[in-house]
Amino acid sequence: MNLVSMKGISKSFFGVYANKDVDLEINSGEIVALLGENGAGKTTLMNILYGIYQKDDGILKIKDDDVCFKSPKDALKYNIGMVHQHFTLVPSLTVEQNITLGENFKGYPFLKTKDREAEIAKLSKEFNFAINPSELVKDLSIGQQQRVEILKLLYRKAQILILDEPTAVLTPQETESFFEVLKKLAKQNCAIILITHRISEVLKIADRVVVLRDGVKELDDKTKNLNKNTLSKAMIGRELKKQQIKYVPRKEVGLSLKNLSSIGIGRNISYFNFDVLKGEILGVAGVDGNGQKALAESIVGIRKYSNGKIFIDGEDITNLSTAKRKESKIAYISDDRHHDGLLLNYSVEENLLLKGDASKKYYKKGVLSKNILSQDATSKIDEYKIKTYSSKTPIRLLSGGNQQKLILAREISEETSVVVAFQPTRGLDVGASESVHDKLYQKQKEGASIVLISTDMDELRKMSNRILVIHDGMIMGIVDNDQNLDITKVGLMMAGSGVKNG
Amino acid sequence: MDKKKKGKIISIFLIAIITLFISWILILLVGTSFTKACSGFYKGILGSSYNISEVLVKMSPLLLCSIGISVAFQTNFINIGADGQLYIGAIIATIVAMYFNLPTILVLIIALILGFIFGGMYSLIPGILKSKFGISEVINTIMLNYIAIGITGILVKTILMDKSGYFPMSPEIEASFPIIIGKTRLHLGIIISIVLALVVQFWLDRTKSGFYIRAIGQNVRASRCAGIKINKNILISAMLSGGFAALAGVFEILGVQHRLMVGISSDFGYTAIIVALLANNKPKNCILTSLGIAALQVGSLSMQRYAGVPSSIALLIMGVIVLLHLGNEALFPFLYKESK
Repeated sequence: MNLVSMKGISKSFFGVYANKDVDLEINSGEIVALLGENGAGKTTLMNILYGIYQKDDGILKIKDDDVCFKSPKDALKYNIGMVHQHFTLVPSLTVEQNITLGENFKGYPFLKTKDREAEIAKLSKEFNFAINPSELVKDLSIGQQQRVEILKLLYRKAQILILDEPTAVLTPQETESFFEVLKKLAKQNCAIILITHRISEVLKIADRVVVLRDGVKELDDKTKNLNKNTLSKAMIGRELKKQQIKYVPRKEVGLSLKNLSSIGIGRNISYFNFDVLKGEILGVAGVDGNGQKALAESIVGIRKYSNGKIFIDGEDITNLSTAKRKESKIAYISDDRHHDGLLLNYSVEENLLLKGDASKKYYKKGVLSKNILSQDATSKIDEYKIKTYSSKTPIRLLSGGNQQKLILAREISEETSVVVAFQPTRGLDVGASESVHDKLYQKQKEGASIVLISTDMDELRKMSNRILVIHDGMIMGIVDNDQNLDITKVGLMMAGSGVKNG
Repeated sequence: MDKKKKGKIISIFLIAIITLFISWILILLVGTSFTKACSGFYKGILGSSYNISEVLVKMSPLLLCSIGISVAFQTNFINIGADGQLYIGAIIATIVAMYFNLPTILVLIIALILGFIFGGMYSLIPGILKSKFGISEVINTIMLNYIAIGITGILVKTILMDKSGYFPMSPEIEASFPIIIGKTRLHLGIIISIVLALVVQFWLDRTKSGFYIRAIGQNVRASRCAGIKINKNILISAMLSGGFAALAGVFEILGVQHRLMVGISSDFGYTAIIVALLANNKPKNCILTSLGIAALQVGSLSMQRYAGVPSSIALLIMGVIVLLHLGNEALFPFLYKESK
């Protein structure tokens, strides 16, 4: 049965089309993957379907009703639900309270918690979710929380489910069991729309793939007729570069951590022991929030230690300030560029100054030389292919990819011995990610020790020489990244060796 | 961005028109003719060289305090204590003039230097309380205003009291900054403050330490990641801020009033916050905005004399301008629509 039918949907922002003349049909019992780079218009299209945006043009039909949703509330009336990338759950409430939050229910003001818990338990059992409605959300794993989000929609009788990048926060094992859930939902005649940019997952789970590029539908076909190359070609307009042969690191140690434990807000690392060779990329795998931030901040010197030592090129830098460390050539690419890396209201040029004491070269006798700065900015814009109107443009007007390139240009264009790259490609499209990776490779060849922290297994497999697995602030193990790498084992290590299998 | 700049300029005109319209209504409500009030206002600020000089006399402390406030606001150190810091400067100037038996020129220079240092130290108190213990500087700086006024009150009844009189005030101070236009009260301070505004602007724009100050205000976290020492720089900005406000006090004593008493500041430290806000925390813009606010205050007083319009109208108008300025992107969205 045809549930959703979009015809000629267009939507523009400031005269630029986010969606142009897009047709999309979705049938019940079908899993459709909506694939595309960042900014290709997939989220805009789904936001129109979910009532967050209103279409400029075109026809949107749900089960033969011509509709135009003013808000997600209207969309819910037509049984459409969306799970956002960042969950909208209240950690201190129970599953049942989260699911029924804001609902009007019979028997008000009496809560009748028991009845509703039973109802939810029944629903959970139906889909094999294994969720206990009386448990607190904060005690659940990320995978379980995601199921609560889905359960919330099912409880509100949603039949069309939109899932925005659902696997970004899951371990490989959790992803597997999540896919099982999706298949079960499809069998119950739900329609599932999966927004994603991970091609390998699309091929595994989707019945049909729709690719958007620059707001236009590029491809719409059954998955069985497709492969990796056709998809990536449709997505970025060219084939992906061949995987490079891994660079063999030199024998000398660049960065070395000895029994390092951090103290500070949030998850900390305890007793970290590892060496990174010169010219080596050490990948750090782990589910988001397991101590990655503490690791990055400890190396850069933003976080304090309770014990342990840290060395660069054999030199003890444990007690050096961040400024001094940057002088001894640590580059830091943070996972949160807006908070950690940029002055958003300031120009491209001025953002280059944000490098502590290492920005000396821009000053002549203590006075900023505008010439040197703008020349350097222009050459960096060229070299890193930063798309900007001029070097005086405020950085907030640049796209995420170009902002990230600027940070790279600032951090790694000088001689660098250690690079801490924390999710350097988060939120970037395939093209921008590739250029970030190329720059890291270049640094590797120059002999830098690179710590690449990422939650994207594909990225880690592509880039790293070895992969360190982190769980709950501890090192679960370090494995060589070669053909023999057992991805299941890595997944289990990420989940704490199967202790906490979500 | 050009569009944005253009929008800003148009919005200034719009704000001026709206403000004029509101003042017109207010004046009508008082029951005076608008032209009479306007001519009173005009005479007050431009009627004679004396009137012009009075505007500039009022502008000087406003400008100095607002330079200090701008520097503090750049690092998000919300210094409401310029008034108190001004009193500290005034106290120091009085002590130096009364107890240091030196040639005038030295008295002036030493008063400026010591005033700057003590004003800076006075504002370091809330600075340290903020950076070490996380106590809000907003409350502390306000409280320190009352303390500074209290100290002044005690001093002018004791060691700084004019023994020949009965009033709580210091004896008249001989040492004085040179008057730059004869038969007026306009002293050298105005030139020094304008130069200082430009120097501080240059420091902020073109030096590394100035950039650190600005970077912290824009994004503390990113500054920390870049290796900038946050606490140290906040303390620096707090100190400079207090120092500049104290200079205003030194000039008030040794340039205009020549007697220390409670009430030497007609809320300069608070009005200067408005001056800095309207200048977007840029010292060089403070030159113009302090001139404008000083003219508004002086003019409204004269309006009261000539046309019987209460001078408190100036306060009302300042309030309107600030509200329109702060809300201007929300009020005039059509000026800022970026047609990308």
